[in-house]
Amino acid sequence: MGALTNIGAGVVALWIFVALAAPVLAPFEPNALLSPFATPGAPGPDDGTFWLGTDHLGRDILSRIIWGARSVLTYAPVAAFCAYVLGVTMGLAAGYFKGWVDAGLSFVSNAVLAFPVLVLYILVITTIGASALNIVLAVTFASAPGIMRIVRSLVLDLRNRGYVAAAETRGEALWWILFVEILPNARGPLIVDACLRLGYLIITIGVLGFLGLGLPPPDPDWGGMINESRALTLAFPHMTLFPCLAISSLVLGLNLMADGLRKGEVRS
Amino acid sequence: MAIHYEGNVLKRKSYGADIHPVISDYAAQFKAGKLNRRDFIQSATRLGMSAGAAFAITGVTPSRQILAATPKKGGDFRVSMNVKDASDPAIYDWSEKGNVARHMCEPLVQIDANNIARPHLAAGWRASNDLKTWTFKLREGVTWSNGDSFGADDVVATVRRWLDPKTGSSNQGRFAAMTTLIDTGKIDKHGKPEKSRVARAGAVEKVDDHTVRFHLARPDLSLPESFADYPALITHRRFAEDGANLMKNPIGTGAFKLKQFAVGEKAVLDKRRDSPYWGGDIYLDRITYIDHGDDPAAEIGALASGQVDANYQSSVEQVDTIRSLPNLNLLEMVTAQTGIARMKVTAQPFNNKNIRKAVQACVDHDRILAIVYRGLGAVAEDHHVAPIHPEYAALPKLRQDYAAAHRYLAAAGRPNGIKLTIDCVANPAWEQNVCKALVEMCKPAGIQISINIMPGGSYWDRWMTTPFGFTSWTHRALGVQVLNLAYRSGVAWNETSYANPAFDALLDQAGGVTDANDRRMVMAQAEAMLQDDAIISQSFWRSVFVAANKRVHGLYPHVALEHHFNKVWLA
Amino acid sequence: MLSFVLRRLGAMALTMLVVSAVVFGLMELIPGNVATMVLGPYASDEQKNIWLSTNGYLEPAWCRYGVWLANFMQGDFGHSIRFKVPVGDVLWPRLGRTAILGVSALAVIVPLSLTMGVLAGMREGSIIDRLISVIGIVTTSIPEFASAVFLTGIFVFWLQWLPGASTMSDGFEAVQLVLPVLVLVLYDFGYIARMTRASMIDVIATPYIRTAILKGLPRRQVILRHAFRNALIAPFTVIMLQINWLLSGVIVVEFFFAYKGFGALLLEAALNRDVFVIEACAMIAVFVAVATQALADIGYAFLNPRIRFGSAD
Repeated sequence: MGALTNIGAGVVALWIFVALAAPVLAPFEPNALLSPFATPGAPGPDDGTFWLGTDHLGRDILSRIIWGARSVLTYAPVAAFCAYVLGVTMGLAAGYFKGWVDAGLSFVSNAVLAFPVLVLYILVITTIGASALNIVLAVTFASAPGIMRIVRSLVLDLRNRGYVAAAETRGEALWWILFVEILPNARGPLIVDACLRLGYLIITIGVLGFLGLGLPPPDPDWGGMINESRALTLAFPHMTLFPCLAISSLVLGLNLMADGLRKGEVRS
Repeated sequence: MAIHYEGNVLKRKSYGADIHPVISDYAAQFKAGKLNRRDFIQSATRLGMSAGAAFAITGVTPSRQILAATPKKGGDFRVSMNVKDASDPAIYDWSEKGNVARHMCEPLVQIDANNIARPHLAAGWRASNDLKTWTFKLREGVTWSNGDSFGADDVVATVRRWLDPKTGSSNQGRFAAMTTLIDTGKIDKHGKPEKSRVARAGAVEKVDDHTVRFHLARPDLSLPESFADYPALITHRRFAEDGANLMKNPIGTGAFKLKQFAVGEKAVLDKRRDSPYWGGDIYLDRITYIDHGDDPAAEIGALASGQVDANYQSSVEQVDTIRSLPNLNLLEMVTAQTGIARMKVTAQPFNNKNIRKAVQACVDHDRILAIVYRGLGAVAEDHHVAPIHPEYAALPKLRQDYAAAHRYLAAAGRPNGIKLTIDCVANPAWEQNVCKALVEMCKPAGIQISINIMPGGSYWDRWMTTPFGFTSWTHRALGVQVLNLAYRSGVAWNETSYANPAFDALLDQAGGVTDANDRRMVMAQAEAMLQDDAIISQSFWRSVFVAANKRVHGLYPHVALEHHFNKVWLA
Repeated sequence: MLSFVLRRLGAMALTMLVVSAVVFGLMELIPGNVATMVLGPYASDEQKNIWLSTNGYLEPAWCRYGVWLANFMQGDFGHSIRFKVPVGDVLWPRLGRTAILGVSALAVIVPLSLTMGVLAGMREGSIIDRLISVIGIVTTSIPEFASAVFLTGIFVFWLQWLPGASTMSDGFEAVQLVLPVLVLVLYDFGYIARMTRASMIDVIATPYIRTAILKGLPRRQVILRHAFRNALIAPFTVIMLQINWLLSGVIVVEFFFAYKGFGALLLEAALNRDVFVIEACAMIAVFVAVATQALADIGYAFLNPRIRFGSAD
């Protein structure tokens, strides 16, 4: 299955490239209102072509997908990163100290996990409003407990290893033990989880956009693009099809990578 | 309602009267190619012709289907519409609620398909010369579904209930001329005396069993139209005593009675069989409303697969989809429904007129109509009076002018531009889309607008207080109605906090003139004043669309999306 | 065993309490006025205040929470602001409908994914295996809202085989379940299939199975009789957790097809600040989550003899 993993990594790398090169790659301004309901391949202003057609407000879909990659590949990783920082810290603390610390943190994380995630997002976002920052905060808050659980069980396992005991005997500082001795040895499963979680977060942000709670307009956001155009799918399928393909391909790439990494993990 | 030519003059058969001679002239010009279709329709309807008739003259299928075939009796008419709680008509805040209830509980006046106020439960009305005393004669021979006779007692009880602050009815604002502020004797938390708005003594007078007289504190030309609004349904005289819940005690004068009601799911109304309906033959056996939630996809799916026969409203984005489905008709109606991007003149930075003028100068209304609403409507001119209003006065066209925008910004001390935020609802999509178009149009002038989408109903908590927001306004039959509701100093729904005594004086003047042409001359000044003060950016008046199965006859999209199904039949 | 169950029940009660308080607190933070939701945007301030005081909203927050809590424990979930009926009248039918949807979905997902997972695991590396794995990965990458859009386009608009909305307004109609179930199945089966496959591969690789095969027992018999049961342990846990996921994962599907279920109820209530409905739904969601977690743990311990009999790894 090495080939599939490479394909996955390739797709992700392609999207990262697209996101980075957006200003150069996109043929038109993503929010410019040009010519509504153009079909894919129709000619546009300045000798350009609407390769993927335009949406109901006349914005070029290809340009919006390209710039949308930038927004997806910024917010999802940032949210994932924040969730990891929080989750890893909590997990390390819970797994290492055990006792009351563990009981308390586990209780909190179970409470958050028990609550349906989507509703948590909805409540948080309707409380504090929908902006990029708030979505990242909401996503962080909702994902951290799951990460905490994984880290906690890994730490519970690793803390009994010899090298940890040796470090404790040496009198190393706490943070050294946690971040230098324990954490690096947990990286395998964490990396796999990170890939999967990133894909899941991308879909979640898409779902929030679909329910009307996503990133504020007019900036291009794949989930929002699908939401805006799904009532028109029958007459203009291209408006929904291409953003769907975009999301699916990116998530697929991440899932393939995760799959390959996990196999690597199992074998080692 | 057939229209035909007698010589060069258009005549309308069922009413037997001549069409306004100016319309004949317009028709001749249209046929000669000197007047385009949209202008003809606007001019004709302004002079009182129905939109359907005007469309017919131009050779376009009218939105109203002419009853050529014999109506067939029977059938269950299924409509997709949000079924909201409709227990108390006095507190209705959504047109959908009125639609369910109107089949059983009727209003005194009804706006028909031609935007004209027609007597319904009232047999007619007369206004005094100063427009402060209105006498309504009620229709005789109407019975409630519990056997009681309909009469003045019911009207008096209903209207008094509207005016009582404890009811919480928006009619109190609509009929503010029948109310007054009194001192309750209590002090509020800021140390000021608390006031309460109650009915004026003697405002609602029963003259006899079928006559009611209303005494207003100031002239109100649009009183009949206010009685046609959807929360102004007349309920039984014992409605409040019996618990004020129409769903539990569905007593009404209408042709249908409520059989089943579940909020968020469905409402079923059956044809009333206890006594013949005062309005004539009813063809349908049953009306069923089915709630498909807020997702337009579910509704289109239901229409396409024949699970419902019609819907409440189709958004403009769905027009092509509906046209491509072979079993559906798309019905269209020109209306005075609109959305305004309104700026609060008492809030920063909009208290500076230059900023408002700068925003106004950036906008190209024609283009916004073309892009956001596919051109299906009429262009608006930032003064909230529509071409289909009888007293509309045309002003010189507004043009997009970035040089002027830059000048205004410089005069306001912001030569490098300014950042603004506009609040907007999440649904329906066209409102957001206007905001998005606004954002794009203001960018070249350096005005950066960010859109704050407020999900669910949260925009309605701050539609009155936000400095810059996009508010949708429903159709009203007369231009002065909206101006009185929204732009008069200190009124309840004045979201811009606009307070201009000169403008109020013009409104008072206009309100005292019954002839539409004379009123037009006053309105020209009022419109110009509003436009110059640039308190709103209003791009278009939108047409409304209803999708209906081809087997539905007699259905027309009402300007305010009201449901009048008494003459609907299913093939 | 008993102490395990008691401890779980205690944790569940405590979790529900904390979650209910947090939700209540969140609702308090939302700016805006409940009276606006009920009386509409055109009501005056005076009218709104009258409504608020009549309905007890001017009491302090902790006081209202206490009242709600006391009522809740006696089974009175309060009154819905949006639906104007007691919460229970709306909640239980909707929960029932989501249960029907969930059970139907699981009835397809479980056999389908277990079969595919076992097949793939049995023939690791073969074409079937790769095909199944790829299909699994691809389908879990397509978000539900995307597949819902396209399935509707194909089956409702183009082929016209299926109804477009699933409101069940004329009573239960199985054909209206097809599309929602299809969307859920497409999204979910891949994950379970892959879990089963991985578990199957692990079990086949264990010394105990390899010995059986080396001893000459027919491969298929060994796998179906011995490996299968052990391979099901991990998927069983996952399936239990999917039940919990279904409760919130159905929101998108219920919203799209207008299926009047629990997820749609929660979404509408959250968007409309219908606080009693939200609280009741939250409590149910927590209950289901903790219960399925506990069942998964019990089931895992029960099925896995190593844990049950405490043998060393």
